[in-house]
Amino acid sequence: MFALRGIAVSLAFFVLVYCLLSAVVAIAWRSLKLLHATERRLTDLFFAVRVLPLLVSVVVTFAFVVPSFQLLEPRSLNVEEGIGAMPLALGICALLLIACGCWRVVAAQTQTSRVVARWLEGAHRLQVDTPAKRDAATAKTKTVTFCSRPEAPPLTLVGFRQPKVLVSESTLALLTHDELQVALKHELAHMQSRDNLKKLIFRFCPFPGMAKLESAWSQAAELTADDAAVSSLNDAIDLAAALVKLSRLVPVETAPVCTVGFVTGSIGARVARLLAWNEAEADATRQARMRPWYVIPPVLMALLCVTATYGPVLALTHEMTEWLVR
Amino acid sequence: MTKAFSIFGSSSRPHLGPFEQQLLQALWTRGSATVRELLADDNIHQAYTTVMTTVDRLYKKGLLNRVEEGRAFRYTPRHTPEELQRVTALESIRQLLGSGDASSLPLSYLVEALSTHDAQLLDELQLLVERKRLELQSRETKTRENAASEKTPPEQR
Repeated sequence: MFALRGIAVSLAFFVLVYCLLSAVVAIAWRSLKLLHATERRLTDLFFAVRVLPLLVSVVVTFAFVVPSFQLLEPRSLNVEEGIGAMPLALGICALLLIACGCWRVVAAQTQTSRVVARWLEGAHRLQVDTPAKRDAATAKTKTVTFCSRPEAPPLTLVGFRQPKVLVSESTLALLTHDELQVALKHELAHMQSRDNLKKLIFRFCPFPGMAKLESAWSQAAELTADDAAVSSLNDAIDLAAALVKLSRLVPVETAPVCTVGFVTGSIGARVARLLAWNEAEADATRQARMRPWYVIPPVLMALLCVTATYGPVLALTHEMTEWLVR
Repeated sequence: MTKAFSIFGSSSRPHLGPFEQQLLQALWTRGSATVRELLADDNIHQAYTTVMTTVDRLYKKGLLNRVEEGRAFRYTPRHTPEELQRVTALESIRQLLGSGDASSLPLSYLVEALSTHDAQLLDELQLLVERKRLELQSRETKTRENAASEKTPPEQR
């Protein structure tokens, strides 16, 4: 009974923190748009904010709720005590939430595998005619590029464990060599950012009102991939031309979740941005990229604070658990 | 809001008379007003009773809210212009999709209209891309010519 109560209370806390934070995120994420940040940073911020409720609720549950229950809940007194109606109801809600998340992930994966398998029927590995193997990015893309069936999207990245870039026959016919190269670099940028995996993580943390945040992330991810693919004005124009040409190809079916299509987001905004490409601004954007060691001091500070106040926080968490049970 | 829908005909604009539209516009500008305050507007040249009757009609159509203020009413628009435009458009689309025996037919018109719009947008974007490419090519040609002329010794020029 003690273990069951512990599980129920932990799950109840998990679902409460998750729902509360998700509601705050769903309301307040728009304020991020006011930041004067680069597209890469915005993409990272949108992603971080989207998964924040899940991360925080997991950390709070495992770092505070479970230890506080283990250490501070008197075992001997709880023999006759039940689980409690509130923890039981919230625990069931948490289980339903986790089950829903798992189901959404499995469904997305299954649907993607099924659709991609159909697209790849009769497909063959594509030999992209690169003038030289000087470009590591292009060489890497070359190993994962397939020529897919005509009903597939024009150019898309599928999967995350063994990602493939699918290029339709119409795309090969429409794009010039340079346009195809820069479009492939764009898809490769998505591959390096693991955007398909991020989409799957979004599926795992469902909450109403998050669709707009996900859409903003998707648009920012497209702009980030555009930035990563372009290194000169010529590249920018080629990418814009590819975008306009492929926008005219109407996909026969909707792309599944674990795919990132080339023609995604606001085409007008992307083309306008590419045509206004500026070398100096691009350099500034690259230099402004956040270095991983910038996060080390705040993380150390947070760890220090948690260590210093761990005992009182555990006691407080236990009091809250007691309040929840009664 | 549903009451407001009933005033929309098949067109995408609310089925309001010119004076009703003028009063609604005046109320959007002011935020809220009594009939007397509306009459103080230089653009409204109607009798008190005419304005009162028209504003009352707008209230009955569900477009205005009103609260008592002394012996008169203070009227406030129920929707912003954007909201009204949005619900009008939505209602028009709903009516379009719901009309006729073949329900797929209006949808095909809609797809056709959107496709035409998309195609126009893409044509414009393509034109921009081509213009930018030409601009870049001419700039590169000029740079090359300048570089070549700088390399050429002055006596050969």
